[in-house]
This record gives sequence, structure tokens and C-alpha cells, in this order.
Amino acid sequence: MSVLDDLFRRVPALLMARRNLSRNRIRSGLAVLGIIIGVLAIASLGMFGTTLRTGATQQLGDIGNEISVSPNFQEGIEELTERDVDEIRRAVTDGAVVPVRSESKLVSRGDRQTVTTVYGMENPGALYEAEQGRVPDRLRQGALVGSGTAGLLDVEPGNTISVDGRTYRVAAVLAEQQGISLVSPNNAVIVPIEDVNGTGYSQVVVSADSGQAANESAVAIREALNEREERVSVFELQSITAGINEFFGILNAFLIGIGSISLVVAGVSILNVMLMSTIERRQEIGVLRAVGVQRGDVIRMILAEAGLLGVAGGVIGAILAVGAGVALNAFVLNDPLATFQAANLLYIVLAVGFGVGTSVLSGLYPAWKAANERPVEALRK
Amino acid sequence: MNHIIELQRVWKRYDTGGEVVEALKDVDFHADPGEFVAVMGPSGSGKSTMLNVLGLLDTPTEGTVSLDGQDVTDLSDREMTVHRKRFIGFIFQSFHLIPTLSALENVEMPTLFGDDPTARDRATHLLERVGLGERLDHRPDQLSGGQKQRVAIARALINEPRILLADEPTGNLDRKTGRSVLDLFDEIRREDDVAVIAVTHDPQLGDYADRTVELIDGRIQ
Repeated sequence: MSVLDDLFRRVPALLMARRNLSRNRIRSGLAVLGIIIGVLAIASLGMFGTTLRTGATQQLGDIGNEISVSPNFQEGIEELTERDVDEIRRAVTDGAVVPVRSESKLVSRGDRQTVTTVYGMENPGALYEAEQGRVPDRLRQGALVGSGTAGLLDVEPGNTISVDGRTYRVAAVLAEQQGISLVSPNNAVIVPIEDVNGTGYSQVVVSADSGQAANESAVAIREALNEREERVSVFELQSITAGINEFFGILNAFLIGIGSISLVVAGVSILNVMLMSTIERRQEIGVLRAVGVQRGDVIRMILAEAGLLGVAGGVIGAILAVGAGVALNAFVLNDPLATFQAANLLYIVLAVGFGVGTSVLSGLYPAWKAANERPVEALRK
Repeated sequence: MNHIIELQRVWKRYDTGGEVVEALKDVDFHADPGEFVAVMGPSGSGKSTMLNVLGLLDTPTEGTVSLDGQDVTDLSDREMTVHRKRFIGFIFQSFHLIPTLSALENVEMPTLFGDDPTARDRATHLLERVGLGERLDHRPDQLSGGQKQRVAIARALINEPRILLADEPTGNLDRKTGRSVLDLFDEIRREDDVAVIAVTHDPQLGDYADRTVELIDGRIQ
């Protein structure tokens, strides 16, 4: 005896249901197809939403974790002083503070040259990663070249470039930054801060470990520096990323709502199938009742049929949805494994649950109707 | 009293759109264990209604039904179902086997919903007894009419009933096959002490019955 036989012996309603469904395979198949489509729609639209959100988050990069402090020009303050930077350092408990000076300069290597933004930074390692070479913790000599500029001038680590006549050895070519960034390095050159003219700073970037830490830092900086006068303006993108997240939440709910409609349609088709099949089997159900099968058992049997349709449709739909998710993530994010994350698992469980629930719910009326038919009426020829 | 089933002054009226049809009129009837009673009569005489009342599938408008000395006239649907399962085996003219189940599963069917570990053995034994030991796994559409009716008889016997109710049991069978089915009834009646009540207009059946009751226009003649 196989496990299945054992199960059927324990739950006879399942045996009867399984046999009844195999009676008209095409009809059962079409009912299952309806559920498959519904489950697939809910699960894959949900996962589509997750993919969109992940993609958007990647585009935004770590911007939610960064804040930018710049002088308040409206109050006549043109640059941030060493004192301001110290105050910012004191205010930020959790994160790196990177003071920045910037200028436009002529950068050249051999006969190639371009005018580009040159940032002076003491500790660019807090913000950037190298694609080639190494970004030192403290930039004392040498230059870091953004990927765009590197392409333009055809440089790699070890080459020398000239910035406004001054020669630098290239320490690293920076990794291209995908997202939006407060200080984008892509088309820039970064040199030690002393090499950029001036005593103050054009902005200070704070890179925190999380959006929340960034937000706390922003509050602390405002309190510390803007107590007496509005010395600085603090720019944080965390509120924007929160808004974007909220938007994607709504979008997802909307997509799943659309998917649910198809499941409701599938439910109606199961209702129809079950109703037809119970009407066709009227006499049989009458015989069951005559030989001593209770109403409750008839209801269980028909609900088991509906449930089996739902489970079959749900499982197949879930498998197809995972396939669709893998394809979508491979295409959009270049990362098929992004499918396997908690949010998506939730959508799949939700979709299968909805599918089975809809099926069983649709079986209720036919089951009730079949069980309450008087056997005498059902057996009448 | 040792009547296994008894109808006393039973009336059955149907309201068919303003017109009241009296299907059974003051019927008194009884059967004893081991007795073979044939109920004969033209169609529309109320035979089937009487069988339904005897089989606890229908309740009389008036009068009482007693089963094994117990008044079962006004039972709930649940209780009637329990009594049907315990006391009564049904055999129908068109067999009414479940087409998706094997012969063995059809015989087991009345025991399926409920814990009954010996049911499979009993079903196998019963099918062997009715001469279908070789056909346990056949589906109904792989069986002849006579074989189907034998499966139906085995199904009716699975719960060791006290009464066998047969509605035109030979109606869909040729004469020879019908005769073998009736021989089987005779054997069951004798060996198992079961009351067999058969509704029919097959005169052949009269030869087997201990007693024939004639029903015309809802009245026992």
C-alpha cells in the first residue's frame, strides 16, 4: 500500500473526490487552469512589485543613508568653516563625516584633456569604492579618478594625470555609482583636500549606516549649527525614499488587487463546474445517502473535490509564478536569485492560500445543495 | 412481536400544485426475518412510495413505521441515516453503482465514511460469495448487467442488514440472469435470516416469494 492509498483509507472523502475529478478530466483541468491563472496572477504581480521596488532601491543607492550639509547662501554664508565641521562631527554619532571642497579644473593625460569637477576630500574611502586600485583611508597624495573620467582619459591605477598643471599618480579608478548620489564621483577627480584652493568647505557629506541614523544625524546637525542663525541647510533624501517605498507598497496592493479579480473569476468557474457535476451525480449522491452516508460526509466529499482543484491549481500556479519571477528578475535585475526573498514567499503563500480558499468557498453552495437534496427525489428516475 | 419492520395505518399524500395525490392509503404491512415478500402492482400504484417509507427514505403523512420493534416514524435525517446504514440494504433496478469505483470499492462504499477496519475483508468475502471473486478490481462498465446487480447485492449486504429492499431487482436483467439473482436472494434470506422485500411486476418473482402483497391505487388488496 502506498502512502496515497493509506491517505485515501484515512480520508475517504479524498478518495471519492479524486475519483470524481478524474471522471471528466477536461472539465477538471479547465477548472484547475482557472485557479492556476488566478494564483499565477496574484503571485507574479506581487513579485513584479517586489522587483520594481528592488530595482528602484538599487537606483537610489544608499542615498537614504546620506545627508549633505551645505552653507546657507540666503544668510550670506558662502562656505563651511573648520568649526562647523567639528560641530558636525560632534553631532554625528553614527557615521562618517566627509568634508568636501570642489572646483572645476583642467585634467589631462598625455594629449587627452577635459575640464571636470575636482573634489578635495580627506577621507573619500567613507563614500566610494575602487574598481581598480585601492582607495586609501586618508587621501594624502595621488588622485582617485571617477569611472567616466577614467574612460575619457584612458587611465588606470599607476598612471599619472595632471590637474591644472600639477601631477598626480592615480591611486584608484572608482567603481561606477549606479544610483543617484549626493556627490557623484563618476565624472570627477578626487584629490587630497589641501590641493583644492580655499580654507572652508563647499559641503559636508555624512554617510550613516542606515536611513534612520542619517535622519537622527540630520536632526542633531540642525540643532547644533542652526541654533542661533540658519548657518547650514541640511539635505536628506530619506523622506524621499520613504515616500517611494510607500508608493511601491500601494502599487503592489493595486497589482495584487487586479490579480485577485482573476481568482474570483476562477472561483466562479469552479462554482459552475461543481454545480454541474453535482447535478449530474444527483442519483449517485442519492444512493450514497440511501446506503447510510451522512449529509456531513457528502459535504466533506464535495468540498474535498473543490479543495483538490484548488490545491492542484495553487501548486502549479506557484511553480509557474516562481518561474516567472526568476525570469523577470533575471531580465530586470540581472539577479534571478532575487526571486527567493521573504516578501515573494509571502506573495506565493498568499496566492496559494487565496486559490485554495476561493475553491473551497466556491464548493460550499454545490456541497450544501447536494447534501440537502432528499434521497427520494434524487433517486427518482 | 417479531416483525422486523411494520407499517401501521400508513397514509402518504403529495401536494402536487393544489391537487393532493394519495399515494398510500391506510397501508398495513409487515415482514419477518427470513421472509421473502413480493409487493406487486401496476406502475403508479404506490409501490415505490411504500418502499421509500419502508427504507426510511421518506416519512409517512399519517401512521407509524416500526423497525425491530422501535417507532422510527419521526426521526431526524441524521438518525434515519444511521438506521438505514444499520438495518437496511437497498437494491435498485438500475443498480446505481458508482462508475468511478471498482467492484470492491463499490461494495465497501457504505462503510467508507467511518472507521471500519474489517470492511475490506467483508467486501472481498461478499464478492466471492456472489461469484465475483475474480472481478474485484473491475469498474462497473467492465461488468455485465447480472454482475452489476450482484455487486449491488454485495453492497447491500456489507453492513449485515436485517432487511433487504429491492426495487424491480430483475427489471433490467434477462430472464435467466434474473433467475440467478433471485436464487441469490433466496440463499441470503435462508442463510442470513434477512427479510427480503421486493417491489416488482415480474411474475417470475412471485415463484420465489413466501408471500405476495398486491398494491393497487395505494391500497393493499
